[in-house]
Amino acid sequence: MKIEGTHNFIGPREAVWDMFYDPQVLASALPGAQKMDMVNENEYKFDMNVRVGPVSGAFSGEMQLENVVKPTSLTLKGGGKGAPGFLNGIGNVKFDEQEDGTTLMSYEGEVNIGGALASVGQRMIDSVAKSMIRSGFATLDAALAARLEAKATGTEVDFKAPTEAEFAKSVAKDMVGGLTNTAETKLVLYIIPLVVALILVAFLLSRCSGG
Amino acid sequence: MTESTISKSFKRNEDPRLLTGNSTYIDDIEIAGMLHVAIKRSDYAHARIIKIDVEEARKLPGVVAVYTAEDLGDYWRPGPLQVPPPTAIKGAKFNARPLECIAKHKIRFSGEPVAVVVAENRYIAEDALDLISLDIEQLPYIGDLEKALEPGAALVHEDLESNLAADVVQEVGSWEKAVSEADSVLKKRIVTNHVAGGAIENRGFVAQWDENLNILNCWATTQGPIPMRNSIARYLGLLENQVRLMNPAIGGGFGPKIMSSQIDDVIIPWIAIKLKRPIKWIEDRRENFLGTTSERDQIHYAEIAYKKDGTILGVKDVFYHNTGAYDPYGMTIPLNTQTHTISNYKIPNFYSQIKMVFTNQMVVTPVRGAGRSHGIFVMERLMDAVAKETGLDPVEIRRKNMLRAEDMPYRTGVIGQDFVENVLDSGDYPAALEKTFEAIEYEKFKQEIQPKLRAEGKHKGIGIVMFTEGTAVGPYEGAKVMVGVTGKVNVVCAYSNQGQGHYTTFAQIVANQLGVKVTDVNVVIGDSGQWQWGVGAFASRGITLVGTAIHQASVKVRVKALGIASKILSTPEEELELEDGVVRVADMPEKFVTLGDLAMQANPTRGTVEPGMEPGLEAAAYYGPPHGATGFGCLGMILDVDPETARVKIDRLVITDDCGTPVNPMIVDGQIHGGLQMGIGEAFYENLVYDEYGQLLTASFMDYLFPQASDMPAKFEIKHMVTPSPLNPLGIKGIGEAGAICVMPCFMQALEDALYENELSITQSFMSPSKLFHYVQSAKNA
Repeated sequence: MKIEGTHNFIGPREAVWDMFYDPQVLASALPGAQKMDMVNENEYKFDMNVRVGPVSGAFSGEMQLENVVKPTSLTLKGGGKGAPGFLNGIGNVKFDEQEDGTTLMSYEGEVNIGGALASVGQRMIDSVAKSMIRSGFATLDAALAARLEAKATGTEVDFKAPTEAEFAKSVAKDMVGGLTNTAETKLVLYIIPLVVALILVAFLLSRCSGG
Repeated sequence: MTESTISKSFKRNEDPRLLTGNSTYIDDIEIAGMLHVAIKRSDYAHARIIKIDVEEARKLPGVVAVYTAEDLGDYWRPGPLQVPPPTAIKGAKFNARPLECIAKHKIRFSGEPVAVVVAENRYIAEDALDLISLDIEQLPYIGDLEKALEPGAALVHEDLESNLAADVVQEVGSWEKAVSEADSVLKKRIVTNHVAGGAIENRGFVAQWDENLNILNCWATTQGPIPMRNSIARYLGLLENQVRLMNPAIGGGFGPKIMSSQIDDVIIPWIAIKLKRPIKWIEDRRENFLGTTSERDQIHYAEIAYKKDGTILGVKDVFYHNTGAYDPYGMTIPLNTQTHTISNYKIPNFYSQIKMVFTNQMVVTPVRGAGRSHGIFVMERLMDAVAKETGLDPVEIRRKNMLRAEDMPYRTGVIGQDFVENVLDSGDYPAALEKTFEAIEYEKFKQEIQPKLRAEGKHKGIGIVMFTEGTAVGPYEGAKVMVGVTGKVNVVCAYSNQGQGHYTTFAQIVANQLGVKVTDVNVVIGDSGQWQWGVGAFASRGITLVGTAIHQASVKVRVKALGIASKILSTPEEELELEDGVVRVADMPEKFVTLGDLAMQANPTRGTVEPGMEPGLEAAAYYGPPHGATGFGCLGMILDVDPETARVKIDRLVITDDCGTPVNPMIVDGQIHGGLQMGIGEAFYENLVYDEYGQLLTASFMDYLFPQASDMPAKFEIKHMVTPSPLNPLGIKGIGEAGAICVMPCFMQALEDALYENELSITQSFMSPSKLFHYVQSAKNA
């Protein structure tokens, strides 16, 4: 699966770069992330819960930062595995300062997914990935704003990561959005309510079992 | 003479048991002290194993044992080939790579077993799977059949020079000659779809070591109980009859359940003996999709040489056949493709080359149809293409080139899956075409109905295709017929039943000779403790091979019964008749002896034994045909297509089929119904899809679309012809695959006809609604 895109951060490049080096912030931007630790410089370990449609479970992995050119670019390489399958990926990230003082982040990469994640969850994986990326950026935007605010006022960082419920909602929204402009809309439209219901049920079940 | 019980639609003996929920399926088997197995399967498609860490899994409370290939020691070895390659084809190359039941050094497909957990229950076993971690080095995935053979491609089996599993050329006449005499040669690249067997019940295995009798009792959902028993005995170093293999009731087979020497039948018996506990494994649906076998993935480069008037001079077909990660089933499927490519038509020159390819995908073995449909699809699509080029009607071009009744038996010159030349034994093929042609009102549709519909902007199209169904191949089957002292009859055979109705059809054959009620014949299928000679349920061979063996055994029993009765009744045998469970004097009905009494007499008491005596009113017989019996038929379909939504409705479906003598016409119709449903699924719904890393994306019924009853036409209109096969006394041929192998080309022909404005040329056997939609759109823009 190829991933690429851009995102504009409202803030100077250095602040964005620093934020990316804070494992707590990164973890909060990854829905389902339990923890993320820096084990060496440019090397992280993470544990997260993955939920894609009917597939869910604990996932642990490593991530390395390579070709680090502070504060302009880096390569993210990593992977993880767990009960739901495995995931390997490589991505190049670039930060460009904009004239208006904001920072344009562009990324492109390839992700390779296997196991139940691929064989059972693939129907939803594109939408889930899209949502993860989008809600991840929303979180980072908020985090960045909070950091800049704290820096400006000298107070403590006041930031709360979004809940999983908010994430589930955005996945459902993306699935509907992704379908309305394809040729197959008429044929698959009836599936959507089903999928939405599925996600909600899966989510509620996991909440009930304390997951 | 008693009224015949053959060719009559008796209600099925097995149905009361099945319909009242009183059948025992594999998962219904419970034995005290039983442990449960779950299998850890690889998420990776191609990888070298560095380490499989099972320590955490072993620590989980309730886990009794965890095994990897390393733990098996010398017991680990690749299984025997289930079907060896034929020796009759000169120059044929075959690289045997039999199944490795559990991966040891390398993982060759996602879903390949890597470890086995034994636990107090299945929940714990499944939880333990999550604690097993694999340390591997990922290798490049091989999935593209053509790229797999390119120099430098990564190797599925690194001890081979390439991913070529087999290379076989068969030529009849001379393709070169056909080209030199032809007015035109037409080429097509034709692709067939990858589909699953999709039985309603997945596979399962239960083993129990009986220490008192030194016997391993096994229950398995296998279609081939004797080969599986032999494989188990060989692995364990036991005598064959120390392994008793039994089929419980089985919920569908469709081919993949023929496989043995897989993880279940190799490892579970070993564990049962090692732990001295009964062991059960039941496959789940995802495992069934990932790890069980499938079929159909071929790419054909086909050419046809013809005269302007539509006379076909020759066909050349070079095709790639995906065998998956191993090739335990030899070349059965592609050989079937070769024999079924030219089997309806007089093609004087035929060149066919198999390039069988190893890939990092699940192993490919027969699924109902087994290679036949691919040959038929290629040939029927070529005929349609020539029809278009020459301006002939699709029916006309078929009429022109069809084999005729007087050509039978017709020697094709092509070696088939049974390793002998494919001989078309009997039949009037043109008559089948005309029967469907009349029934579907082809002329009326084309001349009157369709022009009107087109004028109204509607898109209805008609298709009509021919097929043969090679069935009833060797080597042999056997059976024993035994009359009990109650006068009821027991039949034992080592076949396997997955719903074909054998409990009824076999009983009909016995009843026909012994004059008993069909319901008074008890049929035992698939219990090696009761009968141990046979091969298994494949190639639509049960009714012909087992049926004929049962017929022959019944004739022997009849002779024996008449002989004993003649003495008791002091009447010559020719004056006796066997009817209503008694032997009586034909013109003195009050003078009789019951079959039960004869059975009693056949068990001699003290002082009555004569030299050469064989006790029991019973007999065994075996039957092996010289070659298979070939059924045939013609399918016609009218499709109603909505080009806006790509929705396709089957307006009419008419099939003419000839499977020789139908033992039970109702059951024959049932086989045709099921086959057609499978064929419709293959043409429009079902498709196994791997992504570019070798992950199966369709590993559940959420993504692998199965046709529903509501997707079927309102009616399957079935027309019968009966040309008894000259190969066996009852004139039977098989019928299991007819419906499944003919739908795809007919469907595509009708689609092209319906969407005539787009001038489609469909060369793939699968056209889902979304695919059709895009296909039509791109044709519009072309």
